Amino acid sequence: MSEGVMAVVKPEMKSYIWLQTADGSIQQVEEEVAMFCPMICREVINTGMGSSKNYAISLPQRVNPAILGLILDYCRFHQVPGRSNKERKTYDEKFIRMDTKKLCELTSAADSLQLKPLVDLTSRALARIIEGKTPEEIRETFHLPDDLTEEEKLEPLRNITDDPRIRLLNRLYARKRKELKEREKLKNIEVEEERVDERSVEDLLTFINGGDGESKGARSNKSKKKNRRRKDQIKNSSNDINGNHNKELDDLSFHDGSVNNMASPSKTSKLQDSTAVSYSPKLDFDDVDIDDDLDPAMKEELDREVEDFARRLNSDWPERMQEILSLGQERRLVPVSNGNGSQRYNSLDRR
Amino acid sequence: MLRRMASSFPEEVLEHVFSFIQSDTDRNVISMVCKSWYEIERWCRRKIFVGNCYAVSPRLVIRRFPDVRSIELKGKPHFADFNLVPEGWGGYVQPWIAAMATAYPWLEEIRLKRMVITDESLELIAKSFKNFKVLVLSSCEGFSTDGLAAIAGNCRVTKRKAVKFWVLLEMLVRSIAVVWPTDEEAVVIGFCSLVLPMLLPLRRSNIQCLVKIIWVAFSLAGFFLVDCCEVRNLRELDLRESEVEDLSGHWLTHFPDTYTSLVSLNISCLLSEVSFSALERLVGRCSNLRSLRLNRTVPLEKLANLLHRAPQLAELGTGACQAELRPDVFSNLVGALSGCKELKSLSGFWDVVPVYLPAVYSICPGLTTLNLSYAAIQSQDLIKLISQCPNLQRLWVLDYIEDAGLDVLAATCKDLQELRVFPSDPFGAEPNVLLTEQGLVTVSEGCPKLRSVLYFCRQMSNAALMTIARNQPNFTCFRLCIIEPRTPDYLTLEPLDAGFGAIVEHCKDLRRLSVSGLLTDRAFDYIGTHAKKLEMLSVAFAGDTDLGLHHVLSGCENLRKLEIRDCPFGDKALLANAAKLETMRSLWMSSCNVSYGACKLLGQKMPRLNVEVIDERGPPETRPESCPVEKLYIYRSLAGPRTDMPDFVWTMEEDSAIQQLS
Repeated sequence: MSEGVMAVVKPEMKSYIWLQTADGSIQQVEEEVAMFCPMICREVINTGMGSSKNYAISLPQRVNPAILGLILDYCRFHQVPGRSNKERKTYDEKFIRMDTKKLCELTSAADSLQLKPLVDLTSRALARIIEGKTPEEIRETFHLPDDLTEEEKLEPLRNITDDPRIRLLNRLYARKRKELKEREKLKNIEVEEERVDERSVEDLLTFINGGDGESKGARSNKSKKKNRRRKDQIKNSSNDINGNHNKELDDLSFHDGSVNNMASPSKTSKLQDSTAVSYSPKLDFDDVDIDDDLDPAMKEELDREVEDFARRLNSDWPERMQEILSLGQERRLVPVSNGNGSQRYNSLDRR
Repeated sequence: MLRRMASSFPEEVLEHVFSFIQSDTDRNVISMVCKSWYEIERWCRRKIFVGNCYAVSPRLVIRRFPDVRSIELKGKPHFADFNLVPEGWGGYVQPWIAAMATAYPWLEEIRLKRMVITDESLELIAKSFKNFKVLVLSSCEGFSTDGLAAIAGNCRVTKRKAVKFWVLLEMLVRSIAVVWPTDEEAVVIGFCSLVLPMLLPLRRSNIQCLVKIIWVAFSLAGFFLVDCCEVRNLRELDLRESEVEDLSGHWLTHFPDTYTSLVSLNISCLLSEVSFSALERLVGRCSNLRSLRLNRTVPLEKLANLLHRAPQLAELGTGACQAELRPDVFSNLVGALSGCKELKSLSGFWDVVPVYLPAVYSICPGLTTLNLSYAAIQSQDLIKLISQCPNLQRLWVLDYIEDAGLDVLAATCKDLQELRVFPSDPFGAEPNVLLTEQGLVTVSEGCPKLRSVLYFCRQMSNAALMTIARNQPNFTCFRLCIIEPRTPDYLTLEPLDAGFGAIVEHCKDLRRLSVSGLLTDRAFDYIGTHAKKLEMLSVAFAGDTDLGLHHVLSGCENLRKLEIRDCPFGDKALLANAAKLETMRSLWMSSCNVSYGACKLLGQKMPRLNVEVIDERGPPETRPESCPVEKLYIYRSLAGPRTDMPDFVWTMEEDSAIQQLS
């Protein structure tokens, strides 16, 4: 008897489709279950394969026996027509509970068998796994290589070595830097800059140590954070305010300069111009490729000072802050609680 | 293991997985995982959000993401809403539109916030994007109703033949582009493969037949495709709070009579009358219309007519309501509104007369959003209205609501998530309403789902803030604006440090915070210590020394936007935390103490930052280096200094020292 007839002759027996996975093993599967997969269905219809062991349908390489088992479970459940949506959904949710590796294999296998509902189900599950994670976590979960360069990670957009505008700018900067270097060689190197550099670090330390608890009450004019809809009115008033403001800001920088009392352990050098800071500010900032207009020895000293400052900043901070704030508060409470606070506010320019 | 993963997981499958991941953060994370994911992600990315239009050039975006369908851009800094950014600062969208017109012909959505868009740009949008669907202009300016007419007039049903060819070509190009790297070549090949078969003489050859079959197949496919995308028209036109030059109300008539796909229309910012008959017809034929926000010139009498034509509306913004009570108008309105069973959101209510309010009572139970921020309704009427809205989730209201109204709100609206209380008279010296901190405390007690608050008031206490913090540890957005700067705790006359400290300590998920009142550096210490998820902070008239700024910059790990005005913060904290600025989107400091010298230094040292000095007093070089700058806007950028600055903005560049010498 031919294989094709076998299926017809024994109707009370279930008909089976024979499937062969990439590793060579062959198994038989109930026909209605296997035909749920479009790829298998097409193979059976177009080529007539699958009706016997010798003519088993070769499944794509991505389908191994274990995964095939899972897929067939899925098909077996869903090919039954009578199930409700709720049943199917519940089954699906339980079905995809597996480790990530298996989920990946399942997704890829379902895709090769063109079983779209299962592809969607597994893809969504994978998406949920990916969401909310950091790149490092994702790499770990999916065993992916960490092959983006530091530069690429920092600015994934910036793989522009051939952007003409960037190249032109770089050339321009390089040329200008060279020009500056030449000019500096001819003139004297700015000694003032050095001095201010040293002092500014001291300044900063003193300034922080001194800390200023006094509130600069006199300075506030009446401009407030407005309701954004009242634009017209605001425009007029803010113009007035800016004018007054500048005067008082100038007063302020003068104030800054003369404040340096309080219990401070370190030097209290005269604050010349506290705002003209020009030391290299950042600690982990790599300024190797940027010209400072300063010679290397000076740069080293600056770097050392900055590190020193940073260390002090980070270690002494909590105590010093307590110091400053408690001192500051004492001084403030006195005038306010006497009711003099109201005087301060009345002296504000109201209109 | 690695190889197995890569080989067993084909790109299309991974792409399919990515299609279920749409949030920008997650997409950015995916692109950082590894090289292959980066590549796959960039090809299938359809939606882009650029938080600062000057942070990156259009060219870079287009180069990296070749097939974008939806783009959102933001321009001016947030403080532009308070008129702190001078006119002409920037935020021009034309370079983007021009670049995208050629690169993204299938762009569907453009969303802009605080940008300048001209009529020219609007016309270019109308011409260039065949499948354009959504235009949202939020707080934008620079355009007129002529530009709107161009957008409206573009909504044609495109002719079948032309589309068919275009679609075919596109399909061919796409399939070839998978193999061929450059688009130009792919287009040529696509074109040839369409045209050549027609030129080849009919000969018995398998290849010829095959080619002809393919050509026929494509034609059929194209035919079907045309049927699917025939109505590729505008769905959303939303002008939010933009400033539009109102030349005529006739732009609405430019929507062709065959146009029916409008889903959302917001013209509430327009000042002059729109052609009402055109509006009526438009509303009548667009059966999918879900959101309609009218402007003030649409009178109440006519509202009923519109509503009768659009009973499926979910969001309605009324026009002006001022009128004496006319019974027929009133009953018409009641009838029309009760027909709108799906209405969930109400806004508008300009100049509303309280007698008309009962007209909306019938739909109140279904309301989830209510925007009464233009309605000068007194407390009793507000109470009557709100007590009918038990399902309210979002309420924007003027401070006429008073503490009494907020009590009723707390008792009635248990689902409330967002509350904004705006000041009715912010410039008045004395309070004109009985709204105090107690109202906010009551709401925080009574509404367990409250997440977002914007509250203007005149007095606050540390005790109240601590109570609020304990009641509502789930705040994501807390903006408190005490109208008078440097107002202390009115009970103890102390600074409000402890109160705000409690807020940041208890609300671990706080993303956005605005502080006000009398605050010392200690408040900023609390913020830096506790507000680890804070992304945006607004500060005005607060702090004592640079220490305050230092606390915030060094402590708030997730800080993206910091805006400061009128605070005594100067150079030191800024320079010491210069590296932090590269991890943030932007920093705004106006009327502070930052010197020109420090700005120059920052610009020199940090090439990836644009340090913009905004000073209307004239070039900063004419003043001493220690002189503080008026306004400072610092943002990270891959595009380098911008080229469209007005004459009161200077970008501190690497070679700014040379500029001085030369």
